[in-house]
Amino acid sequence: MDGRGGKSVVVVGAGIVGAASAYFLAQSGFRVRLIEAKAPAAAASGAADGAVSVASKRPGPMMTTALAGIALYRQLDEEGLFAGLFKQRPTVMVAEDESEVESLTGHADALAGEGMALRRIEGEALRRYLPDVSSGVRLAIEVGNEGHAIGYEIVRRLIAASGVAVERDTTVHGLVESASGRSVAAVATSRGRVEADHFVIAAGGGSADLIGLSGIVRPRKGQLAVTERSPTLNAALPGALMSCRYLLSKDAIAGAAGTAARRFGLVVDPLRTGQFLIGGTREETADTGNDLAAIRHMLASAVRLLPPLARLRVIRVFSGVRSATRDGLPIIGRMPGRDNLVVATGFEGDGICLGPLVGQAVGRIVAGVPSELDLRPFAPDRFGQRSLVA
Amino acid sequence: MSGGHFLWGGKPITFETGESIAVAVAKAGVRDLSAGEGGLRRYFCGIGACQNCLVTIEGTLVEACLTPARDGLRVDAPEAGHD
Amino acid sequence: MTERQPLRCDVLVIGGGAAGVAAAAELALAGLSVELAEQRDALGGAYHRQPAGRPTAVHARGRRQWSRLVDAFARAGIAPRLRHVFLGLDSDGLAMLDDRAEGRVLVVRPRALVIAVGAIERVLPRPGWQLPGVMTAGGLQMILKEGGSPPPGDILIAGNGPLTIALAADLARLGHPPVALIEAGDPFARPAAALRLAAYPGLVAEAAGHLARVFASPTPWLRGERLTAIEPRNGRLAATIRDRRGATRTLAADLIALHDGIRPNDFGLPANEESDIVVVRAGDCREALGIRAAIADGRHAARQVIALLTQGPSIADDDAVLRQRRAQAVLGDLFRPIDGADPLAALPDETILCRCEGRTFSELRAMLAEGELSPREIRLNGRFGMGLCQGRFCADNVLHLIAAARPGDPAEPPMRLARDRWPARPVSIAALAADDDEQRES
Repeated sequence: MDGRGGKSVVVVGAGIVGAASAYFLAQSGFRVRLIEAKAPAAAASGAADGAVSVASKRPGPMMTTALAGIALYRQLDEEGLFAGLFKQRPTVMVAEDESEVESLTGHADALAGEGMALRRIEGEALRRYLPDVSSGVRLAIEVGNEGHAIGYEIVRRLIAASGVAVERDTTVHGLVESASGRSVAAVATSRGRVEADHFVIAAGGGSADLIGLSGIVRPRKGQLAVTERSPTLNAALPGALMSCRYLLSKDAIAGAAGTAARRFGLVVDPLRTGQFLIGGTREETADTGNDLAAIRHMLASAVRLLPPLARLRVIRVFSGVRSATRDGLPIIGRMPGRDNLVVATGFEGDGICLGPLVGQAVGRIVAGVPSELDLRPFAPDRFGQRSLVA
Repeated sequence: MSGGHFLWGGKPITFETGESIAVAVAKAGVRDLSAGEGGLRRYFCGIGACQNCLVTIEGTLVEACLTPARDGLRVDAPEAGHD
Repeated sequence: MTERQPLRCDVLVIGGGAAGVAAAAELALAGLSVELAEQRDALGGAYHRQPAGRPTAVHARGRRQWSRLVDAFARAGIAPRLRHVFLGLDSDGLAMLDDRAEGRVLVVRPRALVIAVGAIERVLPRPGWQLPGVMTAGGLQMILKEGGSPPPGDILIAGNGPLTIALAADLARLGHPPVALIEAGDPFARPAAALRLAAYPGLVAEAAGHLARVFASPTPWLRGERLTAIEPRNGRLAATIRDRRGATRTLAADLIALHDGIRPNDFGLPANEESDIVVVRAGDCREALGIRAAIADGRHAARQVIALLTQGPSIADDDAVLRQRRAQAVLGDLFRPIDGADPLAALPDETILCRCEGRTFSELRAMLAEGELSPREIRLNGRFGMGLCQGRFCADNVLHLIAAARPGDPAEPPMRLARDRWPARPVSIAALAADDDEQRES
């Protein structure tokens, strides 16, 4: 994998995508500079739910990519890079009323059609499998081979393994065009210009302005809660419990006057630590506060589904702001008209699941090696011609 | 009211009116509040800040130092590993 | 169907100690509607703690002044909300009170918030400080005030500052003098500070009273000495004591009370600039000046709230508060440790730094060796400040060690390590979820 002639790459953003890009690029022999506005995992990667999951996806490019993303987690776990950081566990989707059972059945059929390993659990078997869930749950679909990883831990591991020193507190103001106008010569930063042979923009919500995609990438906030440790209850839950309502996205609530509209999903994830992570919301805002109404609603739904949770205490609530694109697909690939500029952003809630995989893909794109992934659905030029910020 | 007894791990502990569980237990000479996990639970700050004196009442954790003792109450050490 | 409406009031006061009660009474006197929340089942705070319905003999000092304050409070018609633990302010400006008696969260929408939750004791980490039987001096004081008598067994007091003398005196008065009182400083070796203390006759009188009681007891006051380690031995605790020449010896005890000063308390509490409502701090949680400043500071906070709500002129610092600030500086000099070395510098690697998560010095040092991790990364990846106490007993020490490892960097304020988000305390999910619409319908 050597023989890149020591070509240099600047990666902008030390979230999970930037850290993974830096890692795979360094592995391939590139000289990497990793430039970060604040600190590693300071934004969405450090406040994510950590789902490494495909269960809620519908057949299509995102499902295919997420499956590959999970496979890479397993591989990196076995190889030791992610040792101790990736908790393999199934996702258990549950349905309560008739319409939920119907849609979950349809969804399960679609997943099975893609060759995924599923188990359909009902009746007595369901009570034995999920002894603590509400008696209202009528159907569970176990989606195997999924897992959970904490974003900031993965980022830290990737950066340490890359050997790259993060250039912290360095804001990238813009891209500097080369004389030919066909490539990028440098990034202009708060600490001066940084030149390189290649550039990777993986700055999450900060990417859009740099590459002329403002308005296409939008903030979408999520609120989450963490409980205290409860080893027995934690161990009794085979995997992350996902309410079918999440899938249906029916549980939409208009915001109070002056606040953003939001939707609720419900996932109760038993963490490695014995704690539970309970999430979450999707809110059309970039503010990072936690409001009682949202947390209360999430927790009430969680207790309704898993009544013993009522006995636990919440020790922390937090929020993260995802970067969502207009069409719900991420933006991955070379920027049109800029030969040496690769962008990877807009992962919304899938950054932790896809981050390592996308970093690997970015490494291949920069190296000019064909990718095993079909990245065409994520091409940056799909939003039409855009003028680049120079 | 001039106090009474509550059960700490099944053992009766005498308390006087107005005492918290933590104070009654401390006066009874109990220092290790854990269920055999190396003393990770114990009275420390007395003002609810350190969260070290958690005990279980009706399945839920509470700070022993903030919880008034009541006659007949069943108080237990939380399960090992619970925090 | 409709959600329970938040309780509205002009001012919500958090904390039923001297500062909070003084603030609430003053605010009510000015015609504002006031709610006061106190986490315990009685008013009094750390200083005037008395068990509900059964006064104990401990700490009669200042009782008259406290009774007058409580009378004024009662005349103002405020019904204190007891056993209500403050959880913080949410992003919509709602204050949350964990009603422990009812098992639900009471939501309040105040125009202003007065936070008077008292100080946090500073306790330096030492090997063995996590053992059962080791507590803060304030924690032991709480047992005496609430229970009226000490726990059984030999008690050793160690640390720094005048509060340890008060505790030793109280134990002596209860017929249970500590086996020793270990003091890192030596007021007798600071004559200049002792002279300056003469300007505060009230403090001198109080200190003399305590000291007289300690000297009349068998308890030795070992000055210029430090308790450096504790280990379990034969069902008791063995404390290693180092004197000012560096010689060590061992003292046995059943209980050890540690105290290395007090610090203001801003953990998990809203910063003023972050919320739309007026937030004012009062008493020891704002600045640890002790009981003498607390009442004045509470009244000062009340005037400040009124000024802010009416866009009036800002209020100058209270003279009594300024005076206690100077007095505390003198006490600081008087009790300045004889051994001027950084007490955190020479601790063994296996010393617990974070009591909640059991994280040690060596684990922090390993992280610091990794390079320039920010406090947030050290918090998240190292779990320092992530435990249930939310950094109250480790944030200062961790930041001190980070700063020591990085000479030249500007010091990080503690909140960069700890959190300022609600809940300020862990809260039961049942209580938090109790009033959700969906929950009530089902």
